[in-house]
Amino acid sequence: MPAITVENLTKRYGDTVALEDASFSIPEGEFVVLLGPSGAGKSTLLRILNGLTEPTEGGVYMGDTKLSGRRSDIGMVFQMHYLVESMSAYKNALTGALSREDLLRSLLTWYDTPDKVAALEALDTVGLLEEAQQRAGSMSGGQKQRVGIARALVQQPDLMLADEPVASLDPKAAEEVMGYMRDAAKERTLTTIASLHQVGLAREFGERYIGLRDGRVVFDGGKDDLTMDVVDEIYYEGDEEASAATQEAIQ
Amino acid sequence: MSEERVDVDVRGSRAETTQRIKDRLGEIERAQRIRRILMLALAAGVLVLTGAGLTYLGFTLAAVVRQFPVFLDNMLNFATPDFRFFTLYSSGESLNGWSGFFGSLANPGSLVESVLQRNQGTSIVGASVVTIIVGLTGTVVGFPLALFFGVLGSERVTPFPFNFLFRGTMSTIRAIPAIVWVLFYIPVFGPTPLSAMFAIATDTIGNMGRLFTDELEEVQEGPIEAISSTGANRSQVISFGMLSQVFSSFIAWALYITEINVRIAISLGVVGAGGLGQYIKGQLAQLAFSRAAAGIFMVIVIVISVELFSSRLRSRLRPDEDAGGGFFDAVKRLFDGDRWLGRSER
Repeated sequence: MPAITVENLTKRYGDTVALEDASFSIPEGEFVVLLGPSGAGKSTLLRILNGLTEPTEGGVYMGDTKLSGRRSDIGMVFQMHYLVESMSAYKNALTGALSREDLLRSLLTWYDTPDKVAALEALDTVGLLEEAQQRAGSMSGGQKQRVGIARALVQQPDLMLADEPVASLDPKAAEEVMGYMRDAAKERTLTTIASLHQVGLAREFGERYIGLRDGRVVFDGGKDDLTMDVVDEIYYEGDEEASAATQEAIQ
Repeated sequence: MSEERVDVDVRGSRAETTQRIKDRLGEIERAQRIRRILMLALAAGVLVLTGAGLTYLGFTLAAVVRQFPVFLDNMLNFATPDFRFFTLYSSGESLNGWSGFFGSLANPGSLVESVLQRNQGTSIVGASVVTIIVGLTGTVVGFPLALFFGVLGSERVTPFPFNFLFRGTMSTIRAIPAIVWVLFYIPVFGPTPLSAMFAIATDTIGNMGRLFTDELEEVQEGPIEAISSTGANRSQVISFGMLSQVFSSFIAWALYITEINVRIAISLGVVGAGGLGQYIKGQLAQLAFSRAAAGIFMVIVIVISVELFSSRLRSRLRPDEDAGGGFFDAVKRLFDGDRWLGRSER
């Protein structure tokens, strides 16, 4: 049974079409990378999957259930990490368990032991067990993003989403973060959808690629199908000169 | 990539991982327990000190319970405001109670007359207008000096030891409350609203200037660096790199101080400097609680309207709401009634 099915998803903001008739399905545990220029609808798609935005038409199914509204079983990793910087990495990771605790217990950090263990396990997964008590604000960009991944993992999600998780990191940190994210997904057979800007990183870490342009799915395939021409078509349709320049730069 | 592989090896077997996590949890729990004990001790300390303070002030729960009916009785005196002196019209026609209020509102001319002839007798409307004018003009008169001291007090503008000359002046001004400042002006201008206005203007230099300085300390370094790298001279760097960044927050702070100043203007009346405060004090001195209550009612009306107006204005001037336009676009939008009511947002 496919873990996630997206059926004829359309989202319009007034006259602007952000997403048009997008359909695809993702089997459980697959690591999917969304590619596409800015404004292609990547963020809109992720927001709909996360329940932050309602689609105009169509729907998203997890197994047989139609998704709507925010849910704790979908984890999200944000571009700017969005950690509470004054709290320790451990406490940030624990916020992933908030939906399983009431206000008073969470304020006093009286989480259930399984949740505490889950938070530390998640931090271990992203290689930050030793830094658990460090203040998030004092961490490097890559470490912060790894705490962000840990927080999403503590939610014990069935689906992990990531909106350009490494866009504001240097190449080495970006590589590390993507590596940890892939390990986490593999370890837990966690279906993951990440949007990425860097085609190189995408090729390295993705298993499957969905290309968006002007709100339409223009590509859906594996690593072998993602040729330079395909990348070209996703990013540079109708702009031969820029495309040539970039290709040259890459070579 | 290779680092990460090594990491997996270091993590080792499942059982080892579980043990390491257990150890770490133990450590964290211990640290947390210590922190909790310290927090409890701190809370207990604050409670003990507060208790000691209350004892020092002679507080006993029994006295509060015993005196509560007296307090309630006193408050009830204010429950029936008497608007006899609301306008010259209501006092002339001897309209008591709320009929003084509504009777005057039914004769809008009487409101204008009370404002124009404020020296021909006491009226709440006249006193209110005096209070508002004292607050507003005091703010405007104090503003230029607040700007001067505020800008020069910032370490970003004036180098370190010298900025304390300006900061110190503002701190000294702030240390003396407006109700004391007015006592300095009363020998000069007499116990009049004019003294109150000058007291507020002086107070504004300290308060508003301090906010301006703080705001300037927090401006972003980037634009300053960029402007100075264009070869602009020092005062150009200050104007374009710094002041342009804080322009709308200065306006917002000025409005906030205006709000506070209207409130101060009321309290200055209590020492005889005119306005609503003086009216209330006078009525209380004659034990005319209901008439004082009418003045207090007006105080509430004025303070809440000034606050509503100012906070609405400030939120309209906030830069993020008018992404596309400058300050004057924001001002133009102020005349759009729908936006004031919160309609047609985005």
